[in-house]
Amino acid sequence: MLTSLYVEGQTWFHRAPVRAKLIALLALSIALFATNSPLLLLPAFLLCGGLYFSLGLTLRQAFARVGVVFFTILVLAVVNLFLIPVPDVLALVLRLMALVLFAAAVTATTTIGAFMDEVTVLLRPLERLGLVRAADVSLALGLVLRFVPDIFARYQAIREAHRARGVPIRPLTIIGPLIILTLKDADTIAAAIDARGFRRQ
Amino acid sequence: MNTRDLVLIALFAAIVVVLGLIPPITLGFIPVPITAQSMGVMLAGCIIGARRAALSFLLFVLLVAIGLPVLSGGRGGLAILAGPSGGFIIGWAVAAYITGLIAERVIRPGISEGRQLIGFFLASVVGGILVLYAIGVPWLSFVTGTPLVAAAGGSLAFIPGDLVKAGIATLAARAVYAGYPLLPARA
Repeated sequence: MLTSLYVEGQTWFHRAPVRAKLIALLALSIALFATNSPLLLLPAFLLCGGLYFSLGLTLRQAFARVGVVFFTILVLAVVNLFLIPVPDVLALVLRLMALVLFAAAVTATTTIGAFMDEVTVLLRPLERLGLVRAADVSLALGLVLRFVPDIFARYQAIREAHRARGVPIRPLTIIGPLIILTLKDADTIAAAIDARGFRRQ
Repeated sequence: MNTRDLVLIALFAAIVVVLGLIPPITLGFIPVPITAQSMGVMLAGCIIGARRAALSFLLFVLLVAIGLPVLSGGRGGLAILAGPSGGFIIGWAVAAYITGLIAERVIRPGISEGRQLIGFFLASVVGGILVLYAIGVPWLSFVTGTPLVAAAGGSLAFIPGDLVKAGIATLAARAVYAGYPLLPARA
């Protein structure tokens, strides 16, 4: 149900270290916002697009992933045409699309495990201050992945119960029971975690 | 943080993921379809309180950032955060916190049902709409270059839908509060 957006592949971008890719994304966003010249933004857009489309995604998959974002960007660009000069609109569209393409490329070439390693590194200063524990973040993430299918099954059961009684399916009558039933498990799950000493407390 | 809080945070993030899988509903009198997921901010603040709700949404944003398709419509990844509506997603944690803060102050065990409903609605509107737009709209204006006034004007189209969401979230939060109260009370 929750398959990562990572795509299997052996390109140089797959092999590049995650940290370098994230720093490149940050640097690119700063650099692109620093310039307004289409002469710089167009090559950036073409390079990011070339990179993204060379990662081994099929064209359909590739467009499906960025389609909604591009659609929003284009709608806003049409609005912008009435409000700001045309060259500026062009620069804005190129910049944002380049950034989105590069970000999508990073997502498509980085596994969840690799991301989590970087998250652990980023959390280290907070951990030293005693604000958060990296192990807790990983545990919470694991819990989410573990319980999404269960909660979805519960949602389907509640929906079937509505159908069986001929009650119309409305968000209101579904969300209440879904949340109560799910959160009532919290005590049992917490007890199970503590009983196994996962958090060493 | 005790283990129960940690579990509640994770479970609520998981609920928000599932809300994204529920098909959106269209109401005749509103132009934009209503996704159940966007009610998550209001629900989280009103049900598990400010701190846990904010952490729950930070966890959810982490899921988006590491490339899990947890947003409604199976979207996810860094591309969404880099796009025009990235500010709304980043803003969810703050919005959930403010929603929770108001709910914690207004709702107390003894008060009448009517006051509970008003309290939850107020918390949902201020946190889930005002605060969220106060973060998301300037962000959108900055990244897309759309003048702030135009961006704010355009987002007015979403307000009727958001008010409906706040209404549904209010009733759901009140139902959960009656059945299984988790909201920490504050003086």
